[in-house]
Amino acid sequence: MSLAPKLAFRNLFQDRLRLIATVVGIGFSMVLVTIQMGLYVSFETMVTVMIDHANADLWIVPRGAKSFEDPSLLDERERFRALSLDGVRDVVPLVVGFARWRAPSGATTPIFIVGAGRREDGLQPWNLIEGSLESLAIPGAVAIDQSYFDRLETSRVGESAEINDRRVQVLETTRGIRSFTTMPYVFVSPDFARAATGTPPNKTSYFIVHLAEGINATDIRNQLRTRLIDAEVLTPDEFGRRSKTFWVSGTGAGAALLMGSLLALIVGTVIVAQTLYSSTKDHLHEFATLRAIGSSSGYIIEVIIIQALLSAVIGFCLAAGIGLSVVWATAATALPVIMTPAMTLIVLLVTILMSVLSAAMAIMKVMRIDPVMVFTR
Amino acid sequence: MTGPVLEAIDIGKFLGIGAGRFQALSAVNLAIAGGELTLLMGPSGSGKTTLLSILGCMLTPSSGTVRVHGQSTAGKKPEELAKLRRNHIGFVFQSYHLFPTLTAIDNVRIALDIRGESSEQSIKRAMEVLAIVGLANKTGSYPRELSGGEQQRVAIARAIVGDPSVILADEPTAALDAENGHAVMSVLAQIATNPARGVLVVTHDPRIVEFADRIVSIEDGIIISDSRAVVSEEMALQAQGSSSCRNKS
Repeated sequence: MSLAPKLAFRNLFQDRLRLIATVVGIGFSMVLVTIQMGLYVSFETMVTVMIDHANADLWIVPRGAKSFEDPSLLDERERFRALSLDGVRDVVPLVVGFARWRAPSGATTPIFIVGAGRREDGLQPWNLIEGSLESLAIPGAVAIDQSYFDRLETSRVGESAEINDRRVQVLETTRGIRSFTTMPYVFVSPDFARAATGTPPNKTSYFIVHLAEGINATDIRNQLRTRLIDAEVLTPDEFGRRSKTFWVSGTGAGAALLMGSLLALIVGTVIVAQTLYSSTKDHLHEFATLRAIGSSSGYIIEVIIIQALLSAVIGFCLAAGIGLSVVWATAATALPVIMTPAMTLIVLLVTILMSVLSAAMAIMKVMRIDPVMVFTR
Repeated sequence: MTGPVLEAIDIGKFLGIGAGRFQALSAVNLAIAGGELTLLMGPSGSGKTTLLSILGCMLTPSSGTVRVHGQSTAGKKPEELAKLRRNHIGFVFQSYHLFPTLTAIDNVRIALDIRGESSEQSIKRAMEVLAIVGLANKTGSYPRELSGGEQQRVAIARAIVGDPSVILADEPTAALDAENGHAVMSVLAQIATNPARGVLVVTHDPRIVEFADRIVSIEDGIIISDSRAVVSEEMALQAQGSSSCRNKS
């Protein structure tokens, strides 16, 4: 085995205090990156949570609708135009909209109501904890998620509240149906949604299209696009991408999270660079000796890069440990941090890249070493 | 190789810039042959270290040529000069310059490691040379666990482990007491008995002239004497003294 790794390891571990400072610096900067990225992934997932859970082959959306939360309305006639096409089995209206929840204490909070269909073809709540899907057929029945019990001041089936001055009763509770906005999703019956949001009988927010067995969704989408006037036809993927683009890129929310990650990376890079530079300065005579006895630049760079990699791996392990704790701690909250295997791998690669780039300053310092200095000390 | 292992031909060197510019070496000619130990003596500021740096391919001369193992260093890039050093020159420094975090054997091995030699070979060879310098029982010791003389012998082992053509030693006994200095010089003299290897020792120390096959004196950047005759310690002391007096004046 080459002595370069041994020399790098010993140089790094010789000053324990500096090593701890480096590892903590890298660790916390990567924890910040992990959390920001975890929030970003969580944000992206939550943006399309309703689209992902709707049993739709195609979506008919108001022309120019930017996301699932878009307040525009469709005309009911579009439904019949769609139904008239061979291959379309069913077209289910879906009414959604913003509303106000008044808790028994009188406190109000904005919510986003989803007019869940009673039939399987609609958009129904999932991950039920209490109650049954059929209970949403009862007038004034609602389903809420346990993440929002505090916000809605409600914690169990049977409790009452008001939505836009209409009395409702919690008959279902769910787990993990969270909104990326501050407004909880509340499932209600389609009729209640229409009444509470003031949606006229001939209007709807979306149509969920179901196709006959064996029909190609893209073909039907293209045909529907020529038939529908004030509507767009999108596959679930297309609608999901459009929603993500709007919320992630259009609102600046995604940019803010990415900027946070970038800042964390810069802080991490500076910490590692400073440490490696200072370590290199402390060992300058050793590097000069290496140069004097004929070492190539490559050998010296190898020593510094190995130091950087060791710092990266130790820092990453710390970050991963803390990151997993944060994931665990936020799992049941309204703002969960998600850490996927792919994301973990990315964080590891970014940590390594950051540390290696940080070595540049130290390498430049070493490359300027005059080996003659070994004679002057 | 039949010619000199290291040769300086008409070397001149200017140091400093602007008003501080001065000529550190002027028309220096020196050839180090294999199988002999040469002492380069002179007062502080005489140009010894500058000449050693040029001979060690660490400093480029302003004029003249250096030949290492028959190869001219003129026009060579830093990486090529580094290759020349690792293949043909061994260095011994006044402050030893051992790696404090490595054991004695690793400090020696590193000279082979930078050549890309396998660890099996390098360990074997390092053990051999540590035995040659009398440290076979100290292979696992760290520099802080060794005396000054032992550290210098580890440095000598590092210098010779790659079987270089020439050893350049800068004040190798300056930091040592008489006994350790004597031990270190004995090792260097022993190394110089190899006809394929020359040893050049830069020194102020008159106690070590007994080990020299040849003494070269330098003053103000000019070689003032180059003697192969056996020089007594007393003469060397006189030479050293007169240089110092001149320096002070």
